[in-house]
Amino acid sequence: MAEQGIGARVLRNEDDRFLNGRGQYLGDLAMLECQEVYFLRSPVAHAHILEIEVPEALKDCVFTSAHFDDVKPIRAVGAAPGFKGSDYPPLAIGKVRFVGEPVAICMAPTRADAEDMAQQIFVDYDELPAVVDMDAALAAGAAKVHDHWTDNLVLEVMIDAGDVDASRENAGIEVTGEYRLNRHAGVPMEGRGVLAYRDHRLNELVVYSSTQFPHVIRTALAKCLDIEERCLRVVAPDVGGGFGVKNNLQPEEIAIAALAMKLDHPVRWMEDRREHLLGCAHTREHRYRLTAFADAKGKILGLDADIRVDAGAYSVWPWTSAMEAGMAAGILVGPYDIRNYRARAMTIATTKTPMGPYRGVARTGACFGIERLLDDIAEKIGRDPVDVRLENMVQPGQMPYKTVTNKLFDSGDYPEALRRAAMAIGLDDIRKRQDAGEADGNLIGVGFGCYTEQTAHGTDEWVARGLPVVFGFEPTVARLLPDGGLVLEVGIQNHGQGLETTLAQVAHEELGVDPAKVVVRHGDSSLSPYGMGTFASRSMVMAGGAVGRACGILREKIARIAAHLLQAEASEIHMRDGYAVAGERSISLAEIGEAASLHPERLPPGEDPGLEVSTVYQPALSSGAFSYATHAALVALDAELGTIKLLDYVVVHDCGTVVNPMVVDGQIVGGVAQGIGTALYEEIPYDENGQPLATTFMDYLIPGAAEVPDIRVLHMSSPSPHTAYGIKGLGEGGAIAPPAAILNAANDALRPLGARVNETPLSPERVRAAIAAAREAAE
Amino acid sequence: MTQINLTINGRAVKAEIEPRCSLADLLRDHLQLTATHLGCEHGVCGACTVLINGAQARSCIALGVALEGAEIKTLEGMADDARMQVIKDAFHQEHGLQCGFCTPGMLISAWDILGRKPDITEADLRIALSGNLCRCTGYQGIVRSILLAARHLRQIDETQKGTEE
Repeated sequence: MAEQGIGARVLRNEDDRFLNGRGQYLGDLAMLECQEVYFLRSPVAHAHILEIEVPEALKDCVFTSAHFDDVKPIRAVGAAPGFKGSDYPPLAIGKVRFVGEPVAICMAPTRADAEDMAQQIFVDYDELPAVVDMDAALAAGAAKVHDHWTDNLVLEVMIDAGDVDASRENAGIEVTGEYRLNRHAGVPMEGRGVLAYRDHRLNELVVYSSTQFPHVIRTALAKCLDIEERCLRVVAPDVGGGFGVKNNLQPEEIAIAALAMKLDHPVRWMEDRREHLLGCAHTREHRYRLTAFADAKGKILGLDADIRVDAGAYSVWPWTSAMEAGMAAGILVGPYDIRNYRARAMTIATTKTPMGPYRGVARTGACFGIERLLDDIAEKIGRDPVDVRLENMVQPGQMPYKTVTNKLFDSGDYPEALRRAAMAIGLDDIRKRQDAGEADGNLIGVGFGCYTEQTAHGTDEWVARGLPVVFGFEPTVARLLPDGGLVLEVGIQNHGQGLETTLAQVAHEELGVDPAKVVVRHGDSSLSPYGMGTFASRSMVMAGGAVGRACGILREKIARIAAHLLQAEASEIHMRDGYAVAGERSISLAEIGEAASLHPERLPPGEDPGLEVSTVYQPALSSGAFSYATHAALVALDAELGTIKLLDYVVVHDCGTVVNPMVVDGQIVGGVAQGIGTALYEEIPYDENGQPLATTFMDYLIPGAAEVPDIRVLHMSSPSPHTAYGIKGLGEGGAIAPPAAILNAANDALRPLGARVNETPLSPERVRAAIAAAREAAE
Repeated sequence: MTQINLTINGRAVKAEIEPRCSLADLLRDHLQLTATHLGCEHGVCGACTVLINGAQARSCIALGVALEGAEIKTLEGMADDARMQVIKDAFHQEHGLQCGFCTPGMLISAWDILGRKPDITEADLRIALSGNLCRCTGYQGIVRSILLAARHLRQIDETQKGTEE
C-alpha cells in the first residue's frame, strides 16, 4: 500500500462531490416555502435616517430595526484601556455610517421580487459629512463617526522597548520611509449567505451560514437574540472560500436569524458580488512611517514606527477594530534581530466599510513596511538588499528567540531561506542581466520579502490580545464503527484547505486506517464538540493535534481488545493497513469494531463496550508555532505603459512537518496569488463623498490565470518543538510577502530612473506617476 | 411570464419564466441544477459557465427567453462524457480545486478549450482561462490539471487511431 500518513501526497477525499457538481453551498440548499431576502443598504456614507417609508402593501415583508427591538447589536470592544466602543446594529438605527450598511430587509419568494420591493421604499437621509481619509478623520472639527466619542481615534497603542534614542545617537545612518497599502476586499468566489428556519421538533432555530466558525457564531448569535445556545444550531455547509472575511459575526447573520425567529418559514439571504464589495469586511488599509537607525553595514540599531489603520465605521466581532494596528505593531520587526523599538499604532474610524481579518491579516502590511524599509536602507548604504537582510536576521543559533515585542520564535533557519531564495531566483545572473539591459527595453528588477507567520496561537496569545473569545483548543470525537470505518467529528470548518483528507492522514498515522475510508465531519454545532473554527493558520495544528490525540487513545483500547482476541500482549500490537497485528497474527478493525459495538462478550473482562473517544488538544506552548519564508520576485517593468509583468516567483518556505505536500503547495500558491492581487490589482478607492468606486468585477480586479506566474515553491522543514507531530500552520503565509517582494522588485527596476513606488496596488498609473515625479525632480 | 422550450442535458424542458430570468436562475431555481454556480452575476467570473449549443457561455447573462430551442449542457449533464471524465480525473490528480466553487465553470471551460485546442501550450491556456476566476488555487493546480488532461486525451486519441489502422 502506498504511503498514506503524515507527509504523503494523498489525493483529496472531498474532490469527488465538487468535481461532480454535488457540493452543497448555501444557495444550493433546497427548503420548502423559503423566502428570499434582499438587504436595502445605505447609498450614502454618513447620514441621519429621518424616516423609512414603506408602502402599506409591503408592510408584512419589509423589516427595519424597529421590528427587532429586543435584538442586541454586535459589540466588539477591546480590553485595552482607552478603546472606544460602539455598537454595530444588524440594521441601522437612526444613522448610517458607510455605503452598504444594511438599513432594511425586503423579503419575497424570489430575490428579484425582493429587489423590486426595495425600490418602493423611501428612506429620508439627512446627510452628514463623510469621513473618508485617516488624516481628515483626526483633524480638529472632523465629523464624528460615533456621536458619543470625543474623536475618531479608536485606540492608540504605544510600544517603547530598549532605548531607541540611544540607538539614534550610535547610528551612522538614518532612513525614513512612508509605505501605504490601500483598501481592498476579500472576495471568496462564493459570497456570504445565511439561511434560517425554526425546527419545531427539536425546538431549535437552525441557522445555516457560509461561515468559518459555526460554534462560535452560535454563542454570539444566542447572546444577540437572547436565546439559549441549546435552542440554536449553526451549520456551515460547503463554503466557497473564506479567507477571513467569513470569520466575523456578520450583521446579516443576526438579521436573518432574528427574522426566522419571528416568522414561521425559512428565510435566506445570498450576498451578491456588489454587496460583497460594498458590505463585507474590507482589508489592508495600513500606513507606515518608519525610521531606521542603522550602522554603516545596514544593521538596524533602532526602529521608530508610526502605524495607522483605517478601521472603517464599526468594530467587527470578535476581533475588534484595533486588532490590525496592534498586530502590525507587535510583529513589525519581522524575522530581524531588532532590540530597540518604538511604535505608535493608531486605529482610526472613518465612514467606510468596517475592516476585518483577511488572509495574512496585519502581517501583510507589517511585512510590506519593514521589507520596503530594508531595501531603502540597502540603497542608502549601497549594499545588496540580501546582504542587509542577512546582517539583520535572527540566526538559527539564537532559537528559541524572543522578539523585542515578546513573540517567541520556536525554530528555524531564516537566513538559509533567504540564501536559497536568492540562489533559486538567480540573483547574480539577474544583476548581470540588469547591467546588460533588456532587448525589449523593459526594466527588470528583483525583490525579496521575508516574514515569520505566527500560527496556531492559543490561549496565551489571545488573552494577551484581550479578545472576547480565547481560541485555545480544538476538540475531536473519534469513533470506530462496527464495520471498522472511522468517523472524526471536529470543531473546525473545511472550506478548501483539504482537511477532510489531511485529518484522515493523521488518523492513518495513529490507526493505520485507509484515509479514503475516514469520514471527517465538521462545520456543524450539532455534529461535534465545541470548537473554534478555521482561521489564523490553526486548523492543521489544532485539529490535527486533537485527531492524533483522540486516535492515540482509541488505539490503546483497540490494542487491549486486539490483544485479548489474539491472545497476545497489548504491547505487541501494531496497527497496519486496517489490521491490528501481533507477530504472525492479525485481526481487522472491522472485527474489533464489531466486538466493541455488537459483541461485548468478546471483550476483555472489565473493558467497557464501544470505541469512541472525545478529547481536546492544545499545543504545549500556546504562543504559536512560527512558520517563515522568503519570497523572491523577478519583474519586468514597461516604463512607458507603467505595466509590470512577473517573470519569476520563488517561495522558500518552512512550515515544520508537512502533512500533505500537495495541499501545502496549493495553500502557498493560492496565498501568493491573493498577495499578487494586493500588490498589483485590488483596490476599492473612495471618492470625497465616501462613495466606493469599485463595486463590480468590471472595476475591481482580481488576478486571473494570465496574471499569476507558475510559482516555484521550495521547502525547508524545522518541526515545531511545541506542537503534535511538529506541524506549523501555513494557511495565510502565501499572502503575506507578495506586496513586499513585488514592490521591492519594481523599485529595483525603477532605480535607473530614480523613481520610487511605495503604495499598493502598484497600478500602471502609479508607476507612471512615480516616473513623472522623478523626472520632474531631476529637472 | 413567457413559455419557452429548450433542451437541457438531453431532456426537453418547457418552462414558464419571466423575461428577466437568466439561464442560471432557470437552471438553479426552476430545475434545481445547482452545479452551475453564481460568483458575480455580471458575466466576469465564469463560475456559471455552461454549454449553449455546444459552445461555452455565461449562464448568468444569458436570458432564458432568448434560448428558445437551444441545447444546454451543464456539468450534471456531462456525467457520461469521456473527455470530461479525463478532465475531472486530472483535476483530482493535480489538485485543481480547493473550495470547489469555481470548479464546475472551470471544468466546462477546460472541456471547451481542449475540444478546440488539444495541443494548447501553457501560455495560451492561461489566456484561454482568463474568463474563469479562482480565488483559492492561484491557478497552478488548474493549469497543471488541464495540461495533464490534454496529454491523456492525446494518448487516448493516438491509441484509438492506432486501433483503427
